[in-house]
Amino acid sequence: MPDSNFYDMTDGIFAKLAGIWTQRGYTRYRVSRFEEYDLYAKNRSFITGSAILTFTDTDGRLMALKPDVTLSVIRNTVPSPALRKLYYCESVYRAADPSSGFSEIRQAGLECIGPVGLFDVCEVITLAARSLAALSDRYILDLSHLGLLGGFMEDAGIDQSLRPELLRLAGEKNSHEARALLARNGVSPQIAGLFDTMIHLRAPLEEAVAKLSALPLGEHAAAALSELARVARALRGTPNLYLELSLRSDERYYQGVVMRGYIPGVPSPVLSGGRYDGLMRRLHRDAGAMGFAVYLNLLERVLPEPEALDADVLILHDGSDPEGLMRRIAALEAQGSRVRADRAVPEGFRCGKVLRYDGGEVHE
Amino acid sequence: MNDMLNVALPKGRLGDKVYALFEKAGYGCDDIADPGRKLVFESPEHGVRYFYVKPSDVAIYVERGAADIGVAGKDILLEYAPEVYELLDFGVGRCRMCVCGRPDFRDDPSRTLRVATKFTRITRDYYTGLGRSIDMIHLNGSIELAPILGLSDVIVDIVETGATLRENGLEVLAEVCGISARLIANKVSYKFKYEAVTALASRLQGNIEVTQ
Repeated sequence: MPDSNFYDMTDGIFAKLAGIWTQRGYTRYRVSRFEEYDLYAKNRSFITGSAILTFTDTDGRLMALKPDVTLSVIRNTVPSPALRKLYYCESVYRAADPSSGFSEIRQAGLECIGPVGLFDVCEVITLAARSLAALSDRYILDLSHLGLLGGFMEDAGIDQSLRPELLRLAGEKNSHEARALLARNGVSPQIAGLFDTMIHLRAPLEEAVAKLSALPLGEHAAAALSELARVARALRGTPNLYLELSLRSDERYYQGVVMRGYIPGVPSPVLSGGRYDGLMRRLHRDAGAMGFAVYLNLLERVLPEPEALDADVLILHDGSDPEGLMRRIAALEAQGSRVRADRAVPEGFRCGKVLRYDGGEVHE
Repeated sequence: MNDMLNVALPKGRLGDKVYALFEKAGYGCDDIADPGRKLVFESPEHGVRYFYVKPSDVAIYVERGAADIGVAGKDILLEYAPEVYELLDFGVGRCRMCVCGRPDFRDDPSRTLRVATKFTRITRDYYTGLGRSIDMIHLNGSIELAPILGLSDVIVDIVETGATLRENGLEVLAEVCGISARLIANKVSYKFKYEAVTALASRLQGNIEVTQ
């Protein structure tokens, strides 16, 4: 589990992110550390990682230490015709794979729930971009629209049974196997070529949308592209936004725009989100939703190194003149020094200099 | 240091073969010819840094971002399913993942099939696809012994020439999938070093097509 230093450092980052989110009227939402297991059992595949920590509560109910925040936010917010704009910073508990054991993962994010329109989608993307910019000025935010590849396969008449495998290969940018699979199933080289072009297309959002517009897309893919084009126009001028159709998200939960954010030095996405109307439906909520999470635990790699010194000055004293020592330390503090007073040098202590307090004076 | 492309190559014959392809594509590194005790080989003029690791570890180096790109066997990619891009099939190191057993073996669908293998995920996926119930026996080596000693009915293993199978009185009963060396890339490196990664992949692809 992360140590207390890590919490201090990620707290600072969360404060920055919260500052960005509150600027657009998002309000803090707190969820309990525990939730009924039933909620996760019904939506197991929404949660990354297979295992959930469970315990039996005093009233006999099977409870879980929260493995996910979004499900809890949806379940615990009262349905309302108005938009709910919420943000959170919570710990979740997961075992990514059976061999790794459980971890506490700190996660901050925001959720926009209710009658979500195109403006809200664009606002969430903007806040995602600003959140990444607060972490690194070299961030990248990849966007996709799940209706593009899905619609393309529908328009091309590709058999339903092939689609999951094709989407998996798209996620790997695996042209050679996708082409072979399509050829084996009698799909024309033209369709295979278009599929290949789409999964390898990588360009700034507006430029990519223009390139896609030049392709002979069918009705379903064109509808998704039209929505994406409106997003691209609304976000014109937002730096570091790219189109990346190889992004994968579980289509039982996500529809429409999805996104992932990256910063240098972290080998996996630090931000992930999208429009999850499907999850809302599964939880019997008649509303739309979009949000994203920032994985604070991954930022450990890029957070500033802890202070090299434990204090600037260590004053050794014999305890005989507390008043004089207090005055000396106050004088050093007034000069901006961090000071520790002790009777001996603590083991492993790192400081700029060691002074000795004796007879009302300090000596080197 | 971070501007160079870090390339993880598999140690051994396969690594030598694929390095030759990198060299042919214009990404040679003089130091590799005379390695001595060095572990890392840099070619600043070509912007690449090579290092050799255990073949089964290449995907881990790439997934975790210690290497931007690497060359891994399809068997490793199928077995560990790392979150990486698979950009190219080198077409070298070709072999097959097969179900093998005694020539007189007849599968009885009314009984659970006992399968010994190193590749448990590949085996599970294969038999799940067939709707066949199996008793998986995970072994770390000398897989061919399992059916000979009655530990399993069949094995799932890599077959290159089939010589080891023949020498032990076994044969291929079914092919699970083809295996060859693949170029993989870390998904984040791909974005931050897009031009370098795609240029290298494209030159390698060009060379492979010419060779084939």
